Amino acid sequence: MKSFWPVRLASIVGVVALCFALDRAVLAAAPAQYRLLILASLFVILAVSLNLINGITGQFSIGHAAFAMIGAYTAGTLSKNPAFASMPHPQLLAVMTLLGALVAATFGFIVGLPSLRLRGDYLAIVTLGFGEIIRIVTNATESLGGSYGMPVAPKVQFLWWSLLLMVACIALCRNLLKTTHGLTFLAVREDEVAGLAMGVNVTMTKVVAFVIGAAFAGAAGAVLAHTEAFISPRTFPMEMSFIILTMVVLGGTGSITGSALAAVVLFAIPEYLRTLTDAQGKAYEMNAGLFMGILVAIMIAVAASKWIQTNVHEKGKKLGFYAGAWLAVIPLGFLFQTILHLSPTLKTLAFGIDILRYAVFAVVLIALMLLRPQGIFGHHEIGWHWFRKRPVPATEGGAA
Amino acid sequence: MSEAQPILRLDEATIKFGGLTAVNKVSFELNRGDIFGLIGPNGAGKTTCFNLITGVYKPTSGEIYFQGQPIGGLAPNKIATRGICRTFQNIRLFSALSSVENVMIGAHLRHRVPLVGALLLAPNSVAETKALQERSMHLLELVNLADYANHRSADMSYGKQRRLEIARALATDPELILLDEPAAGMNPQEKEELLYTVRRIRDELNKTVLVIEHDMRFVMGLCERIVVLDHGEEIAQGPPDAIRNNPKVIEAYLGEPA
Ligand SMILES: Nc1ncnc2c1ncn2[C@@H]1O[C@H](COP(=O)(O)OP(=O)(O)OP(=O)(O)O)[C@@H](O)[C@H]1O
Ligand SMILES: [Mg+2]
Repeated sequence: MKSFWPVRLASIVGVVALCFALDRAVLAAAPAQYRLLILASLFVILAVSLNLINGITGQFSIGHAAFAMIGAYTAGTLSKNPAFASMPHPQLLAVMTLLGALVAATFGFIVGLPSLRLRGDYLAIVTLGFGEIIRIVTNATESLGGSYGMPVAPKVQFLWWSLLLMVACIALCRNLLKTTHGLTFLAVREDEVAGLAMGVNVTMTKVVAFVIGAAFAGAAGAVLAHTEAFISPRTFPMEMSFIILTMVVLGGTGSITGSALAAVVLFAIPEYLRTLTDAQGKAYEMNAGLFMGILVAIMIAVAASKWIQTNVHEKGKKLGFYAGAWLAVIPLGFLFQTILHLSPTLKTLAFGIDILRYAVFAVVLIALMLLRPQGIFGHHEIGWHWFRKRPVPATEGGAA
Repeated sequence: MSEAQPILRLDEATIKFGGLTAVNKVSFELNRGDIFGLIGPNGAGKTTCFNLITGVYKPTSGEIYFQGQPIGGLAPNKIATRGICRTFQNIRLFSALSSVENVMIGAHLRHRVPLVGALLLAPNSVAETKALQERSMHLLELVNLADYANHRSADMSYGKQRRLEIARALATDPELILLDEPAAGMNPQEKEELLYTVRRIRDELNKTVLVIEHDMRFVMGLCERIVVLDHGEEIAQGPPDAIRNNPKVIEAYLGEPA
């Protein structure tokens, strides 16, 4: 305990240095990806913050994009103010992030209130409705640019800032889960009645989850506004909320690392597919076919692993079975690719660029929900304890 | 003064669900250190009584006093904070969490570093979590579940889950603990151990115990006083021997097909 503050300080300095170093490295090595990486980190923030509400506290909230939108419009509006506009860019971005978070948190408080009375599907409908109302009202408000949108000045793109924000968001959620406080959030998710009987202030816990979750989404929105230098209601469509929700569900509700990883992957897939041009058609078609084929093969391998898990008990045998199942993925992938390419209708159906973008998404989701409804990582976190023998409760583990 | 006053007093507590009066003008008193039984045929209103005492329902009329203070209609978490905790007849554990985590949630009530401390993982927050974990382990030992500390609570046997519920309730450090059919689904040996555990809870931890149980041997062997409900009405009250021979009680049970 005595070495706590030096260790904490060192780790903060380390993280800041790392974020700057990454920023420089990307600028030097892949400047074209700089903006995309900012957006990816913002999506991680959105997913991890929604995970606090949905996965950890168990309040089925959709419409998370609305909080980002509120943060973005807060930044877009306030940065026009001369007092802010004259600030140096790093300060400006920091202040706007903070203000975006504050305003979004206020809305988070208001949206959190119905969660005290509503459960499950009903809350989902209310939060979805809230998201739509925010979007429609913005659409109709002339002073916010209406449906045309609003330019945001100055354009500020700082990867280091969005990375820092992302680390802060992940660290806060992870810290929470390491303490008894975090357990009370999980208690609300697991059983409200039992939680109340144990003295958990369920009301307060839910509102706090909404406020913190909304604050981080608002912060991400503010950064997004300055990164893109232009925002409109179309920047935050309903699909955006669904995609964020998908990231949380896919990563495993309650798993911070899972949400973060799923956010990166789900952000990267459509971005990658977007970069493909028709000129790359042939090669791409082959790749896409293989991709789909491997996806199907992976589904089979996962199903096989499940079967092995329950039915094979001898250790060596088990390992061999696993290896066999997963090694089969590659040849099976090629096999499925060939089959897909045999039928021209299947081929066009599966591999039209636009269709494919959605198809891949849909197939991944369906596969996941069938094979592993609790998400890839379930309630678990990815970490060093995976390499330890002893099972560790969520509250144990290395400090700082 | 506080020694003489009953720890819990129901004063004509009544609750109606539409046309059904589930608990009708029930009055009884528990003194500090009692092991008190609440029995009656199925649907008599026993669990509903617990729900009234713990704030799940607000009495339609009548009042409930805990340590002299009226608590009828207070929020359940407030009542838990005052010092009443319970177990559930239809086990309500935090199923995805481990045993020790379940108990720690009960234990959080008596220690609390502010939320900001937890978010920043401040040293006192870490220390508190460690302390609660240790305390929870002791309680798991009390109910013989120390070896199952890291087991997912939903994966444990029925009897173990019931014991875990008791440990979790004890973790809130209550003055009064309410046990709703703690022996249900247990085998004779487990029941014997439970009997011993409940006595220890009273004798070593100085708790007052109110227990609902259908197993008559268990209730008669454990409780010093018993109140009997039937169709929401209180039909008898007294020590086990008097209850056993009370014609009204015998009729209530024999008149019941179950
Ligand atoms: N929320 C409710 N709404 C309507 N009726 C209820 C409610 N809760 C309980 N009841 C009714 O009140 C009566 C008493 O139920 P209670 O659960 O208290 O019985 P019990 O004595 O605990 O029985 P058991 O031994 O079967 O557990 C029952 O007829 C039940 O249907
Ligand atoms: Mg009952």
